[in-house]
This record gives sequence, structure tokens and C-alpha cells, in this order.
Amino acid sequence: MTAKVLNIIVTGVGGQGNVLASQVIATAAVDSGYFVSVGETFGASQRGGSVTSHIRVSKVSAYGPLIPQGEADFILGFEPLETLRTFRDYGNSSTQVIMNVRPNYPLGVLLNEDQYPDIPVLTGNLRVQSQKLWALEATNLAVDVGVPVGTNMVMTGAFAGVQFLPISFLAYETVLKGMFAGEILDLNLAAFQVGVKAVS
Amino acid sequence: MSFMSLQVNEPGRSVLMTGNEAITRGAIEAGLSFAASYPGSPTSEILAHLGRLANEHNLYAEWSVNEKVAIEEAAAASFAGLRSLCIVKQNGLNVALDSLVSIAISGIKAGMVLVVGDDPGAHSSTNEEDSRLLSKVVHIPIFEPSTPEEAKQMTLAAYELSENLKLPVTLRCVTRISHASGNVTLGELQNVNKQAIFAKKDRYVTNAALHQLQEVKLAKIRQIADTLPFNTYKGPQNAKTVIIASGPSALYAPEAVNALGLDNEVGVLKLGMTWPLPEKFLLEHMKHAERVIFIEEIESFNEDNVMALAAQHISEIYPLEFYGQKSGHVTGPKGPGVGEMDPDKVKQSIARVLGVENNQAAEKPSLKLETPDVPVREMAFCAGCPHRASFWAMKSAVALDGRNAVVLGDIGCYSLALRRTGWALPQTMHAMGSSAGIANGLGKLERFGFKQPVIAVVGDSTFFHSTIPALVNARYTRANFLLVVLDNETTAMTGHQPHPGMSKNAMGEIVEGLQIEEVVKGLKLPVVIQDPYDVKGTTEVVYKLLQSEGTKVLVLSQACALVAAKASTRPRVYIDQEQCIGDSCGCNRFCSATFTCPATIWDPKKGKALIDEVVCNRCQVCVSLCPQGAIKVEGGANLDR
Amino acid sequence: MEQSKMPLRLRQEVMESGNCARCGLCVGLCPYIKTMNERIAFIHDCNREDGTCYRVCPRTPTNLSDLDKQVFGKERADHGLGNYLEILYARSLNKDLAQAGQYGGVVSTLAAYMVESGESQAAVLTKRQNNSPPTPCLARNREEVLSCSGSNYSASPTLSILNAGVRSGLEKLTIVGRPCQILGLRKMQALTERSEHNMSAKKVDFLIGLFCFWSLETEIYTYLRGKTGSARLLRMDIPQNYGVVTTENGEIQIPIDELRAFIRPTCQSCFDPTSEFADVSVGSTEYDPEWSTLIIRSTRGQEIVNKVCNAGHLETKPYPEERLPLLLNAVINKKKRVLESLSNGKGYEYLELSSDYTQGIEEGGVGR
Repeated sequence: MTAKVLNIIVTGVGGQGNVLASQVIATAAVDSGYFVSVGETFGASQRGGSVTSHIRVSKVSAYGPLIPQGEADFILGFEPLETLRTFRDYGNSSTQVIMNVRPNYPLGVLLNEDQYPDIPVLTGNLRVQSQKLWALEATNLAVDVGVPVGTNMVMTGAFAGVQFLPISFLAYETVLKGMFAGEILDLNLAAFQVGVKAVS
Repeated sequence: MSFMSLQVNEPGRSVLMTGNEAITRGAIEAGLSFAASYPGSPTSEILAHLGRLANEHNLYAEWSVNEKVAIEEAAAASFAGLRSLCIVKQNGLNVALDSLVSIAISGIKAGMVLVVGDDPGAHSSTNEEDSRLLSKVVHIPIFEPSTPEEAKQMTLAAYELSENLKLPVTLRCVTRISHASGNVTLGELQNVNKQAIFAKKDRYVTNAALHQLQEVKLAKIRQIADTLPFNTYKGPQNAKTVIIASGPSALYAPEAVNALGLDNEVGVLKLGMTWPLPEKFLLEHMKHAERVIFIEEIESFNEDNVMALAAQHISEIYPLEFYGQKSGHVTGPKGPGVGEMDPDKVKQSIARVLGVENNQAAEKPSLKLETPDVPVREMAFCAGCPHRASFWAMKSAVALDGRNAVVLGDIGCYSLALRRTGWALPQTMHAMGSSAGIANGLGKLERFGFKQPVIAVVGDSTFFHSTIPALVNARYTRANFLLVVLDNETTAMTGHQPHPGMSKNAMGEIVEGLQIEEVVKGLKLPVVIQDPYDVKGTTEVVYKLLQSEGTKVLVLSQACALVAAKASTRPRVYIDQEQCIGDSCGCNRFCSATFTCPATIWDPKKGKALIDEVVCNRCQVCVSLCPQGAIKVEGGANLDR
Repeated sequence: MEQSKMPLRLRQEVMESGNCARCGLCVGLCPYIKTMNERIAFIHDCNREDGTCYRVCPRTPTNLSDLDKQVFGKERADHGLGNYLEILYARSLNKDLAQAGQYGGVVSTLAAYMVESGESQAAVLTKRQNNSPPTPCLARNREEVLSCSGSNYSASPTLSILNAGVRSGLEKLTIVGRPCQILGLRKMQALTERSEHNMSAKKVDFLIGLFCFWSLETEIYTYLRGKTGSARLLRMDIPQNYGVVTTENGEIQIPIDELRAFIRPTCQSCFDPTSEFADVSVGSTEYDPEWSTLIIRSTRGQEIVNKVCNAGHLETKPYPEERLPLLLNAVINKKKRVLESLSNGKGYEYLELSSDYTQGIEEGGVGR
């Protein structure tokens, strides 16, 4: 890791479990010897608002909990619109992106007042703008493993799989083992593996 | 993460913790015995953690009925020689303030720490409020951490200081501390089993004569502040520009200075104790400076206090210029003091003061394409939220009643009803329980020609917190209004904490829950219980109650959809697209565009409604509202109806 | 105000202006219009441009001449009583129905025949409640019809149950309604452009219209409770110049002027006291309480009355020659009063009145 600090944003909609995903990533990074700061807003969680975690990983020192605009190195997007919003504000041409392509419609779209961007247009835009984009059917993959709420672990697995952070899979799995037990652990590990595979 | 790291007993190990976890850990390392709180973002998780750790660490943790009671209990434990903790949010301190002022005067015995969570930017609050001003009123010191690590260290230091001076100590956290995570170095876990005793000779009495002693204590702390490790200066020895920052701004500042290439010119003075001030330390660094920039969140608290100090020592530090909220230099787009700080605002503010170019735009590799329009994402009631059904029923009853009933809102998830998700039905919203107080007032205006019915809407936790006195008043003064209690069997807004109506306490013990209707019946007021998922029935009940005179209470009882969804095996709800006639229907996309449940979406390909089954919590309310009967329950079952 | 938004216009021009006749036909077409305690209100603006609610409302612009042609295949000759084939005296031959009903139990007998014979699957009726507003009822058999017999005097939005009944799968329905309700249904039957707009009216195959010179505000029930106390209200009648309320404890007479205070203002703008667009219209004879006036208007009406008479449930006799001018006068006078108030700038003008029509009224409605 050559940069002073790596800036990762995990973004999605309340209820998607992205806070948990950011905690897994951040804990694995701390356990691997890094300084980590996570800035989180979970006030809107579960109430349909945007929920975003800023994760800052450094070999050198603790950074502030918020990433300056335009300085995200990696965006882990649980929802297309939120990925686009985050990229618009924090992305740059060297930002890498993993995006779950399943939309979650905001109130204005339900009210038929706002237009949700076309997924192919949105994906195309991000593909051109970013350094690299992985567009995943993460929710469907999670449903296939039998855990519709496991989207967050599929996404976490995909993040681990692209090896943006030099952290072993074992470090992630150790964190999961500390958090869950029994059948729930198995389901989460399975979803994690599905995510790893999806980007390999 | 998180909870498990609280239990790791490996002193010296660095683990990831949120600020709230760090405070929890710090309190246990300090030998905490007694904790009391009322939930409120951003500090709710502290007591929740303590509750789960209570048995293991011989401590008592309680979700109190409100903050006033919580702080009185924490003081009681301190009087009896136990280290105690009271955790509130900014608004909670307002509730506790009356008692806290007195407790600070009477003094305490064992260490007592008050954690106050302020929410700059009001991420999960009705308002922005700087509680530091209140701690200053109370005459107690304020620690302000800038990282989770510091939050833990300050918790330990706060107990020492509190116990030495026999004074409660405030630990002021903001959202970006409480809900931020970072590396925290673990210390030794304590497991004290302390004997509580109220010593026969001890007296804790509020008395004006003690004001003098308070001033003496503050003077003493002022001296201690100069030697505290939390007040630091980093930068060139004799920097001409000194930034004075506290909280997370103390991290944004050095990053901004570095990004602007000013490392060799600008120093950053971090205030870890923001009241009383480390005066010598501040003066020492103001002497070599030509300009000071204040960076802090919400009010210009440090700015005002430091400028007052500077005025007092003007001859020692002259010439010196001050930049901050007052000068208008340190600000975001909404103006000084509004919204929280972030690295970009800090960088822009410093660049503005020093007249240097903010090179951010040049540094950022430009985007190649124009981004498509990104619609805003408003907060809304969750899929299956009983409040959506309750407000639709109330809206219906109000329209059918036709006398322009006034609906009064209150604090909880249902505050969202002021937005489009609740059709902006409530016309007022203030503090916990205020709707009932305002209803008391409106409910007596008939003699002045007031003919509109009045509905006050509170949640179950708010009912216990501060609605009951208003209800007593209503009975006594014969106020004419309907109190609707949205009873979702939890304190949902802040993360499903238990309250006196529930059969579980903070430590997971089974207790006897107090039924809301028992309280109302005890007041000899009429009370009706109704399931809000039955929208038609609820509309009728609300309508009927509006036709009757006097104070009456309606309890709309249905568990929070998020809790219920986890526990239940309700059948799948789906839309029969053969029966849905799309835009040919007179419903104008009722389920998605009017009822706006996030689970009912529009299928543009078919031009019909569709249920997103990953989001749906299977409440079945939409089944009863679809005019075409196109929304079905698998197996035809219609649960709980 | 945008002219095109029909539901908004309905809310503003009809409901909020106090012109709603409370027929109930707009209730249940959509999730936005609801009724409670006889009031009808918009819960929420639907923001639609088009609106079946507005199109079918008996208080929105209506072309009577088109409606005459649609229902009877010809314009009216009589501007007093509208199109009709025959006008008779009638009474029930079923003792129970005759006793339970008012003025000979003709309406109950017709409705009972419809559901018993299978001509209709159900009849939309109004069920009197003790001292509170009546409720709509879908009667599927004789007993249920019997339970709805007797007159009501408030404007009950009974048709609200029609849309629900049709949604639940009912195919053939008899309606007993006030003139405004019959008018609304006929307007709905005329909406043939889109199937979902007239689905309820399509299922209505027999319309029994009531005579109605005015209806009373819902507050009448509070007033009556004040008069009768806790005694159960059995029936109410307004013979001529006083009201009679029969309770379990006996009869109470109520001065007509006290009742008049409760007359709904919108009824003062109504031109149709005899349900001119029904298949048959039934009302008091104002003369002989044993008999009802029966106006057979359509061939469908004729067919059903013949069947009911042949089955021995109903007897008829010619309308007394000398009574006819009295009926006509009452009707014409009402219409003239409406015309007069309209020309004074009072009242609510919703009909598209042709000069033939107004002239016909001025001339006394004769010349059939």
C-alpha cells in the first residue's frame, strides 16, 4: 500500500445492511494492522434515506471520519442511484466501483415526480467515468444462496475479492466468525464466497 | 466489530470501535456501577451495550422514563458512592437541565459523567443544538473528543476529575464521534463490586451559598486544563496562523492544512477541554500568532470564550486577528454555524482566511461525462410501517369530519409524517410530549370561537416520557382533544430500545410492562384500542372519537414493522397484474404514488403496480386499500385481520 | 382553477360548495373519496385529469334531453313528470311487506320480487338504524329486503355499496334510489367509452326511483334523539304538514317548520322530485295511505310490474283523474321554485337546461 490513505465509501439505502458491511471491512483492516477511521450516518437507516459509510485506511495515522469530495478511491455501492450520487460527489477517474444493480426507488420516483435513471445508461456512465466498474446482481445472488438479506455479505465478498485492500480472505472470515455463529454464520460465509466468486 | 470488542480483555490491543463503544469501554475500565439514559441519537448505543454487559461487570443499566429521571438516578448512585453515567442527546439535556443545575450546585460523591450527544447537521434530530452552552450554564467542565480513541481516554479522565472535584463532568460528543469508528487501544476491564452507602454525615442540597464553591471548583479546573494531555498544539513553533479546533474539526483541520500545502505555516491547537479553557496554554500560542481561525460545530462557543479571554489579555497578545463564524470566514454554504463541518468546508474556510487558492478543483481529475440527474432520496416510513396506515386513517377521518381538525405532531419515527410520507398531516412539532401540551391549550379555546377538533399524536415511548402530566392537566382542566398513541411496542426511532410499556428492561430481564390504557383508565379518561392495519376500522374509530366531547385517548396498537418482520412468517403479498388495470384505474397509482409504501413500486414495462418482495414486510395493508382488489395474499389468507 | 381536472372540480364545485346530493355513486370508484355519517369527502387529491366521479355526479353538467333519448329512446313530452308509459295506484298483496313498508309496501314488494325471482342477485337498499343515519344494504333475499323497508328522510349515500357489490362479483342488481341517485346511475350507464368507467352501472338492470321533494341533514337524528330520548325509533313519516315519529313508546308529532330547518340546501336546486329516469317511480299518493303512486316509465318497468302483478304480489288501479293535476302541480311548482331561485342568482345550476325544458315548466308541464 503506497498511498498515505485509502478512501473507501460504502453507500446504499437504509435497511440494506451496508453499515454492517463497512464494519466488517474496517474491522478486518484494523485487525490487519492499519489505522482506520469510519464516518457513518445511520440516522436515516431503515427509513428509506441514503446511508453512507466513509472508510479511511492508513498505514501512517488516524484520519478524520469524512472523505473530502472527489477523493474516493473505491466506492462499494449497494444501490445504483446511491452509487451514482456518491460517484458524482466523491468519485474521480481513478475511482474503482463495485455496484449492485438492483434499484430501490426513492419517494419522488414512487410519486411519479422524479425519473429514476435508466440502469443501462447509469451503468454505462459509471463504466466510462471510473477506472473500473463491477456491476453485480448482488441481491439476486444473495437470494440464490437463500439469504435475501445477505446482499451486504455478497458485496463484502466482492470487495474482498477484488483485493483493493491487501487483506486476506481469512481476515474477513475471522471477523464474520466473531460476529455470527451457527447457521447464520454459514449463510453469511456462503454469501461472502458468492461475492468473491462474482468478481474473480 | 463492535460489541464483541467491548469484551476483549487484552490490554494494549488496538481494536475498531465506534465512539459510543469507546465510551462504553472507557466507563467499564473506569469501574462504572450505575448507568441511566433515555435513548436519542447519536448516543443511544452506549446504554444498550452497558445493558448487555451489566451482569458480567456487576453494573446496573437502565432505560429511564426520561432524561430528568435518568440524571437524578445517576446522581443518586454517585451520592451512594458508585461511579455513574448518564447518557442523553442534546434535547435530552434540555429535559434534564433543571435537575442537573441543582446537582452541580449540591455536588456529588463518586465520579459522575454526563455524555451528551449533539447532532450537528441534525442527521437524526429535529434541530441542531450546541449543548456546550448548557454545560457552561450548569458550571461543569466539558470534554470534547475528536476520535473514538480520545473518547475512551476522556471518559477515564472525566471520572477522575469528577471524583476529585465532586462535580458532574460533561463528555460532549457529536455524531461524527459517536457514530464514527476508529482504532481504540484497550485498557484493563474493571469488575468492581462496590458497596453502596449513603453516609450519615453526607448532605447534598441545592443552596445559593454554594455558588461560591462552584466558582472555586471551576477556577481549579481551569488550572488543571492547562496540563491536560487532550489540549494539544501541532505545527511550527511560532506559526503566524493558529487554528483552534475541537471535536472532529481538530482532524479535518490538519488534513486541510496539509492539502493546502501549509504545513510549515499553520499550527493547529486542539481543545480537548472546551470549558473551562486552558487559559495559559491558549495565551502562549496566541502570543506568537498574527491570526487565529476558529473551527468548531454549531455555535461559536470556543470562539466566543477564547475571544473573551483574548480581550482580557489584549496587551499581551496584540496584534491578533480573529477569524471564524463571527467574521463569516468559517462557514459552509448555508452560513456560519449551520450544518456540520467536513474536510471540504474546513479547507475552503482556511483558504478564504489566508487568501490562498483552494487547489481542490485542480487536483480532482475531472469527470468525463455529465452525470445523469440524481433524484433526492427522502426519508419515508418503512415498508409495512403501522404509522403509514395510522396517518392515512387519521387523514381520512379528518377529511370526513370536515371541520379542519388540527393534528399535532411529536417526536419519534412518526415525526416523518410532517413530510410527504405522512402527507404532511401534522401542523406542529416541538419537543417530547409537546403535542399533548399544545392540545391542552387548543382544547380550551371554544370560548373564543374555536371549533376545530384537535388530535395530538404521540408514540408509546413519548407517552411515558412526558405526555402523562399533560394528560393529567387535560383531565383537570377538561381540555377537548383526542390523544392518539401510536403504540408500536418499542422506542423505534432510536433503534428499538425498551420502555416502561414493555416486558423487558435494558439488561434483558423480564419485567411487567405498564399498559398505556391502564394509565389512561387510572386517570378516568375514555380509551379505545385499535389495530391501525385495519385502516377502515381505524378511520371510523377516529371519526367517532372526534365527534365526542372532552379528553379521550386512542391507542393504535401494532408492532414496528421492522421488529415484526424479523419475528414473523407472514404469507407473501403480491400484485395480480391481471387484475391491476394500471393507469386505467381511477386510483392514480394509489399503492405506489399515494400510499408510497417503498415495497409497492411501478412496473414501467407492464404499466402496472408491482411489489418488491425483498423490501415488503408483508403487513397486508395495501391489500385492503387497492380499489381493484388486485393485491393478494398468498394462499388467500388474510392474517391478523 | 384548472378546468380539466375533473376530480378537483368535483371537490370544489360540488363537495366543498355544499352541492353534493350524497348519492354515494362516486364512493368506492377510487381510494380517494370516502363516506362517513352521510358526509362524502375527498381524502386526498388524486390529481387526475379525467374522473368518472365527476362524469357520473348528478350535480355536474347533465344534458337531460340526451339522457331521455338514452333511457327512453325519445325526448320528453311532459316537462312535469318526464317520460312515462303509465301512472297508477299500487299496493302490495304481501301482508308482511305491506305492513313493514310505507304507503302500501310497493317498493319492498318490487325489490323482494327481483331478488326472489332471480331477476336480480341483490337489491341496493337503505336500512334504517335506530335514531342514527341509515346504512346502505345489499339485500339478497326477501328477509333482507323486509329489514330495509320503511322510508328514510336523510340523504344517505347508499350507492356507495354498489361499487363494492359489483367488485365482489355481483352481476345483476336492482337499485332503489332517490332521484339524484337514479340520475347518477343513468349518467354512469352512458359512459360507454371505457369499460372500467361504467362497470358498476352496467350491472344495474332495474331502477326503482323514489319520489323525493327534499331530504334532511344528518343532524336530524341528533334532533330526533332529543325528541324521543332513548326510545327506539320504529318509523318516520311526513304525511302533510307535520312529521310523525313512531317509537316503541308511541307516536310523536313534529311541527313541519322544525323539520324544514333541516332541509338540505342542495335539494332546493333539484328539478326532479319523481325520479324521472327510473324504470318505475314510486311515491306517496298524498291522499290514501293504503296506496302508492306508481309511475311506469320504461318498457323494462312495464315488464317487471306485469310479472309482479301476475305473480300475485301487487295490485294496481287507475290513478284517480281528479288527483293527477294535484300531483302535476306539486311537481311543477317545485321546478318553478328552482327556476326562480336560479334566475335570482341563488341555487346551483348544474343541468344544461334547454329553452324547451324551461318553457315546458313555465307552461305547466301539460301537453303530453
